[in-house]
Amino acid sequence: MTDTQQPNPSEMAEVTQARPHRTLLNDAWIRLRRNRLAVAGAIIILIFALGAIFAPLITKYNFAKQDLDSIFLQPSGVHWLGTDELGRDVFARMLYGARTSLAVGIFTQLIVLLIGLPIGAFAGSKGGRVDNLLMRFVDIMYGFPDILLIILLSAVLRGTVFGNMGGGIFVIFLAIGLVAWVNVSRLVRGQILSLKQRDFVTAARAMGGKGTYITMRHLLPNSLGPIIVSITFGVPRAIFTEAALSYIGIGVKPPTPSWGAMIHDGYNVMFTAPHLVIVPAVAIALIMLAFTFLGDGLRDALDPRSRR
Amino acid sequence: MAENVVIEINNLAKYFPITSGLFFKKKVAEVKAVDGVSFAIHRGETLGLVGESGCGKTTVGKCVLQLYRATSGEVIFEGKNLCDLNENQLRPLRRKLQVVFQDPYDSLNPRFTAADIIGEPLQINSDIRGSDFDRRIAELLDIVGLAPYMADRYPHEFSGGQRQRLGVARALALQPEFIVCDEPLSALDVSIQAQIINLLDDLQDKFGIAYLFISHDLSVVRHMSDRVGVMYLGKMMELSERDEIYKSPLHPYTQALLSAVPIPDPAVEEKRKVIVLKGEVPSPINPPSGCVFHPRCPKAFDDCSKLIPQLKDAGSGHEVACLLYKTSWP
Amino acid sequence: MSTLLDVRNLVTRFHTQDGVVKAVNGASFTVAKGETIAIVGESGCGKSVTSLSILRLIAQPQGKIVSGEALLDGTDLLKLSTEEMRKIRGARISMIFQEPMSSLNPVLTIGRQMTEQLELHRHMGQQEALAEAINLLKLVGIPQAERRVKDYPHHFSGGMRQRVMIAMAISCKPQLVIADEPTTAVDVTIQSQLLELIRGITDEMGMSLILITHNLGVVARYARRVYVMYAGTVVEHGPALSVYHHPLHPYTSGLLASVPRLDEPRKGRLAPIEGQPPDMMCPPVGCPFQPRCAYALPKCLTDRPELQEMAPGHFTACWVAFSGETLWQKT
Repeated sequence: MTDTQQPNPSEMAEVTQARPHRTLLNDAWIRLRRNRLAVAGAIIILIFALGAIFAPLITKYNFAKQDLDSIFLQPSGVHWLGTDELGRDVFARMLYGARTSLAVGIFTQLIVLLIGLPIGAFAGSKGGRVDNLLMRFVDIMYGFPDILLIILLSAVLRGTVFGNMGGGIFVIFLAIGLVAWVNVSRLVRGQILSLKQRDFVTAARAMGGKGTYITMRHLLPNSLGPIIVSITFGVPRAIFTEAALSYIGIGVKPPTPSWGAMIHDGYNVMFTAPHLVIVPAVAIALIMLAFTFLGDGLRDALDPRSRR
Repeated sequence: MAENVVIEINNLAKYFPITSGLFFKKKVAEVKAVDGVSFAIHRGETLGLVGESGCGKTTVGKCVLQLYRATSGEVIFEGKNLCDLNENQLRPLRRKLQVVFQDPYDSLNPRFTAADIIGEPLQINSDIRGSDFDRRIAELLDIVGLAPYMADRYPHEFSGGQRQRLGVARALALQPEFIVCDEPLSALDVSIQAQIINLLDDLQDKFGIAYLFISHDLSVVRHMSDRVGVMYLGKMMELSERDEIYKSPLHPYTQALLSAVPIPDPAVEEKRKVIVLKGEVPSPINPPSGCVFHPRCPKAFDDCSKLIPQLKDAGSGHEVACLLYKTSWP
Repeated sequence: MSTLLDVRNLVTRFHTQDGVVKAVNGASFTVAKGETIAIVGESGCGKSVTSLSILRLIAQPQGKIVSGEALLDGTDLLKLSTEEMRKIRGARISMIFQEPMSSLNPVLTIGRQMTEQLELHRHMGQQEALAEAINLLKLVGIPQAERRVKDYPHHFSGGMRQRVMIAMAISCKPQLVIADEPTTAVDVTIQSQLLELIRGITDEMGMSLILITHNLGVVARYARRVYVMYAGTVVEHGPALSVYHHPLHPYTSGLLASVPRLDEPRKGRLAPIEGQPPDMMCPPVGCPFQPRCAYALPKCLTDRPELQEMAPGHFTACWVAFSGETLWQKT
C-alpha cells in the first residue's frame, strides 16, 4: 500500500521539469503567436478596426460631403487617396466603408451563432427524430444557392421594419445571417455527435449526469475550437457577400459607404480614374486575406491533435 | 454466500438492430452481441471476463451499468432490477456503480483540470463543496498515487499511466461498491500496467470494492480475478474459480485461448505445444447453429452443430457449456 | 552465419513545433542471413522509428536521420539515392505494419496491389503476375484465393488483411522482412495463426526476420536473439534464453518482473517499474534509465554507458552491471 500512496519522486519530476504548466487555451495562444501569417492577419484586422472606429479623428473629411469643384482628383497631400465622381474623399469613404464591412462581418456571425449553435446543439444532443427533422431542413437550405437566397431574403426584408434601419445595413445582417447559420449548425451537430461517443461523456452518464448538464459541461465546450474557426472564416465570407450585394446595387443604401458600392461607382470610370476601383478592391482583398490567415492559424492552434 | 452478492446478472441479452430505409427505419437484422449471460459478483470479489474482440464482454459491462439498456434479462442490484428502472430512478443508484475505461486519452475531458475530473461525480451527486471538496480531491489524488499539486493540471499534461490513475480516482470518488473495469490496461505500456494492477489490487483490499474486470489479456485476468468467465460470440462458455479454470480448463475454446498466450520464457516456450485454432470468429449477425464455437473447435462432433450446450456445473462449481460434458446436454 | 544487415549508431530526430524529439539515439544491431531477431521495448522507445529509418520511410521533412550506417550486404542504405532505395524496398527488404488497413490502398483490388509489385520488381507479365498473386494468397492461407484476389481491402477481416500484407511482403522473395507489431491489432488466437505463418514462411524461404514488438511472450516464442530498447537506444541484447533468464540490465529485469505469467504461481503483488519513460525532447543525462533505476550509481547520472559483452554474445549498457553487481538477477 505504501508505494501507491507515496507519489513516486521521479514521476513528479517528470511532469514538473519536462514541460511548463499550460492550459489548453494558453497552449493555443502560444502556438497562434508563433504563426507569422496569423499574427500578420490579426494586425491587419486591428488596423482596419482602429481605422473604422477612429475614422472621424483620422480624416477631416465627411464621407458624404460632395465637392463638385474637385471631382476625380488623383491621390495627393490634400486628398490622400483622391476623390470620386462627386468629389468625395476616397480615403474617408474607405475608412467609413470599413465600418460597414466589419459590422457586417461581426453582426452576421452573431446571428449565425445565435441561430446555428442552439439548433446544432439541440439536434446533436437529442438525436433521433428531432435530429432527423432539423437536419433535413438544414439540407434543404443547403441545397439552395446562397447568394440567390440572400437576394430573395433581402428583397423581402426591405419591406419590413428592418428596411430602413441603419441605411439598409440591418437587412444585410439578417439576410446573410439567416442563410449562413446552416454551416455552423451542421458543424456543431457533427462535433456533438462525435463527442457523444467519447468515453468521458459515457463516464458523465455513468455518474448520473443529466442531458443538459452533459451538453453544457462536456459537449459544447469541446466543440468551441471548431466553432471559433468557422466563425473566423465566416466573417470574410459575409464581408464579401455584402460587397457583392452592394456592387449589384441591392446592398447598403447610399450615401452609407460600402466597398462594394465604391467599386460599383468606380467601375464606369475604371480607365480614367483607376484608383476609385483599386482602393476598395485592395481593402476587400486585404481584409479577406487577413481573416483567412487568422482562421488558418486558429485552426492549427486550437487543434488538440497537434499536441499530446 | 447469497447475501454477499453485490450484483447479479440473469440471462442478460443485448441485440443491436441493423436498420435500413431512407425515412422509415426498418429492422433488417440483429447483432446478438450478448445472448443469455448469467453471473453474480460477491462483495470484494473480482470476476474476470475474458474473450476476443466481438465476444460481447464490453457490452455486458455497459448493460450492467445501464449505459446500454438490455434487450432482455435482469441486472439485480440492491434488490432492484436495474433494467426495469428509468433514468430518474437509476440516478441515485448510479453512484454505487462506477466504471474505469480502456483509453485514458478518451475518457478524460481535455478541458477539465484533474480536480474537475475527479470532482465531477461529487458535483453531480453530492453537496460537498468548498474546502471539503478540495480536501476530498487531495485525498483521492493521494489514494491513487498522484501529488496534490497536480490538481489544477490538464489531462494532456499527464502520461498515460497517470491519466489512468485519474480515471480510477474519479471512479472512487463516490465510494462505490462495484466498479466495471473495461480493459483498463490495454492502452498502457507493460511497465505501467503493473502499476495500475497493483493500484486496483490495493484499493480492493482497502475498500472492499467488487470488480467486473473485462480484458482480453489472460495473464492479467488470472492475476486480478477470483473467478473467471470466458465469453465467445455473446455466450458464456466457461465460468469457474480462477485456479480451477487456469489449471484445468474444460472448454476447448478456453484451452486454445490459454495455449495461444505466449509465456515470456524461451525455455518454456520451446517445449510448449500451441493449439492453433482454424478460421476466425464468425459474424454475430448470423452466428453458427448449435454451439457457436463448433466451426473452429478441434474437438467438435456431429451433435455440436445441432444442439445448444447449456452452461452447467460439471463438478465442484466449475461451469462449462460444451457437449463434451454430459451436464451441458440440453 | 554471415551478417545480412548491420545497423551502426543510428540517430534519428524529429523536429516538431514544441522542440526536437530525439527518437533514436545511437541504436546498433545486426541480423544474420536467415535469422530471426526481436526488438522489444515500450511505446516511444524508438523501435518503430529504427525500422522506418532503415527503409528511409521517416516522415519528411520533420524526421531526419542524423547519422549512422545501415549496411545491407555491405551497402549503406542511408547513402543510396532515392531511386536506388526504391529498388531495395519490397524487393530486398519488406515490411509488415501493425495496421494493415492503413497500408493497403482502399480503392485498388488486392490483386492489383500485389501484381503491381510483382510487375515492378520481378518483371512479370500481367497474367503471370496474377497467377503468382493467387499462389501467394494460397500460401498465406486465404481460402478461395482465385475469387478473393478481385476483392478490395475492406472486404477482408483484420486477420485476413494481415495475411494479405504478409503475402505482399514476401511476394518478391526479400532477404529481410521487418514485422512492426504485426499482431498488436488482432486477437490472441489470430495472433498465433499469423505468427506461426510468418515463422513458417520465413523459415522455409530462408528469409531473415526482424520482429518488433512490446510483447515479451511473443519474443520468447519466436526469436533466438533479442534486443531490448529503451529511450532510443539498445540497453541490452543477446541470446533470448540468456536475456530472459539472466537479464543484466535493470530495465530488462524490471520489465520481466512486471508482467504476470500464466505458468507461474500467482504472485500477491507485481513489481512494477516505477516512474514514466523519459520525455524524448529532453532525455536524461547519463544512463537514460537512471531516473527510474533503483540501483543507480553516482556515475549513472553523468556518464552514458556503452554496450559491453558480459557473457558470450550477451551485451548490456549498465554501469551497475559493469561493476559486477547482479542483485536484480533472477535466481
